[in-house]
Order: sequence, then structure tokens, then C-alpha cells
Amino acid sequence: MHAWTWLLQRISAVILLIVVGFHIGFLHFSNTGEPLNYGEVVTRLKTPILMVFDVLLLIFGIYHALYGVYSVFLDFDSGKKERVLVFALFVAVGVGIVGFGIFGLLYTAGSL
Amino acid sequence: MPEPLHVKVFRFNPESDVAPKFDHFQVPVFDNMAILDVVMHIQNYLDRSLSFRFSCRIGMCGSCAMYVNGRARLACRTQVSSLKTRDITVMPLPNFPIIRDLVVDMEPFFDKWKKIKPYYLPKKEIDAPVTVQPDSDEREFIDDMLDCISCGCCYSACSMVATHKDYLGPAALNRAYTLIADKRDAIRVERLKAVDRSYGVWRCHTQFNCAEVCPKNIVPTRSIQNLKRRCVLKKIGVFK
Repeated sequence: MHAWTWLLQRISAVILLIVVGFHIGFLHFSNTGEPLNYGEVVTRLKTPILMVFDVLLLIFGIYHALYGVYSVFLDFDSGKKERVLVFALFVAVGVGIVGFGIFGLLYTAGSL
Repeated sequence: MPEPLHVKVFRFNPESDVAPKFDHFQVPVFDNMAILDVVMHIQNYLDRSLSFRFSCRIGMCGSCAMYVNGRARLACRTQVSSLKTRDITVMPLPNFPIIRDLVVDMEPFFDKWKKIKPYYLPKKEIDAPVTVQPDSDEREFIDDMLDCISCGCCYSACSMVATHKDYLGPAALNRAYTLIADKRDAIRVERLKAVDRSYGVWRCHTQFNCAEVCPKNIVPTRSIQNLKRRCVLKKIGVFK
């Protein structure tokens, strides 16, 4: 399993470079004025491409971060049972955060 | 007359001492003096009981590695002048059991080499005298990694080795890579299986501590990353 999770972290790093760059660039160039108000943020979030990139940012960002923390956990001399339990916990936390994040994005954009 | 060196040397004999201690010595300086000259001066003129290991004196054998001023170095290749200080602290290599004073037990280190079968096993069908040309890309790729003198500096600097005794460590993994990258080798897949473990390549967090201290300027981290790639290729059936 190490090989696949490691490969996915490498892939997620490349994807993060792209989506974070897009996210920052989009927010910078679509900034309508200062100070921003909530309505403008909602309007901006309704842009489909920003929604797609933000969801990708959420998925790959969470995976990349949680895999990094899990790697640190592996440095502690834990048994197989503990490793499986913690892995399951990280998967649950990751799925939970991504699910809640996507719900929040769609809800804010008025798609739900 | 230049100011002498103030040398602090780690002393410990597990058979008779309750705890380690440091002894202090004043050592006269001469031009082009190496750390090995410093400890030899102490042993010859100041304290004959000081134990340390050395052999070739020219950075080939790897036996005089010590922890000098907070960093693993070869005593014979470390000029006193390069330290830019008169205060020198000499200790045994970290991550190794201490036999006495500056002499460490290399057995755990070489036990890990044994796990990766550190010797070349040729495929029977190869008859050509030179299969990998000396100027080929394949040869150049592993050339630097072959310079390892198994001094243990990388092993002593690796924080992953420090946190688990079973981790194979940078030197053994680097050696494994030089053999796995060699297409003439008969047991490349077997070797790759031996390193594709939690306490093999996957323990490395690419901190580059090994590369930082290697007296031969090898980058074991690079070898380990290449091994990780090959583990992925093996999983998808490309590496055979």
C-alpha cells in the first residue's frame, strides 16, 4: 500500500501546485473592489470553474496533509492493529472534512 | 606559537564506567592538521588509554568516522582549520552502540547491509565482458553512488534511524539501489522486495541529513527516492 499512497501524494503535490495557483490567481484578478462583501464572494463562487478548482483543492489538499501526518504517525513504533485503526480514522476524518467542505461550497454558492 | 586547541573528548568504557564523561586536553596545532592528528596526539602524548579506530588515513577505508563539533565526519579528512574554532568536541558516532570511547559497534549497521544482499549476483546468460559500458548513461547514473566507503556517517546523521532500530538506513538502501539499477543483476526483484517495506524505503522522509554529512558527497536520499519509484513500477508490473 505504501507505493500507491506515496505515488498519490506525489500526484496530489503536482495538482495542488496547479489548483492553488489558479485559486490565488482567480481571486486576485476577479477582485471587484475593497472591502469585499459577502454577496460578491457568493457571486464569485458561482463561477463553475472556480467551484471545480476549489473542490479539487479541497480533496487533494486534505489528502496531501493527512498523508503527511500519517507518515509522521508511522515513525512512532506502533503495532499493525494501531496502524490500521489510525489509517481508518484518517480516512474517516478526510472523507468527513472533504464532504463537509464540498457541502459548504455548494451551499454558499446556492446550489443546494 | 599559535594558541593550542581546547579538545573535549567523550570517554566511556561500558565495562567499568557507570556513566560517560568528557576529558579535556590542550593540543598544539600544526599546519594542515586533521582531527585524526588531534586524537593521535592525545593518545601518543597525553592519554594512552584513549580508544579510536582508524586505518588508511586518506579517506578510503571509512573507519575513522567521528562526531566532531556536532557533525559526523571522517577524522582523517577533516582539517582543524576548516572548523574555524580552537574549541573541538569529539564524540563517537550517534545511533551506534559504544564499544569504548570513540569506537562504536558497526554490527547493527552491517546487519542491515546483509538484509539487502550487498553483493552482485550475475545473470547466468550474460557472457559479454562489458555489458554496461563505462561511458553509458546507465553507468554514470550509479557511478557516484558506488563511492560509498561504509563509514556510517549517513547512518549516524539519519533521524529515522534514530527513531527505529529496524530502519535499514541510507547506506544499505543506497547500496541496494546500485545493484537494483544494474540490469546484469540476477536478483533485482528480490532486492526490491527487501527494501519495499515500512522499515525500508518508506521510512525515509527525505530530510537529506545523510547527504549533508556524506564525506563522499553521495546523496543517498536520491537513491531512496529512485527505489520508491521502482517500487511503484513493480506494483504496476513494469519493473521486472
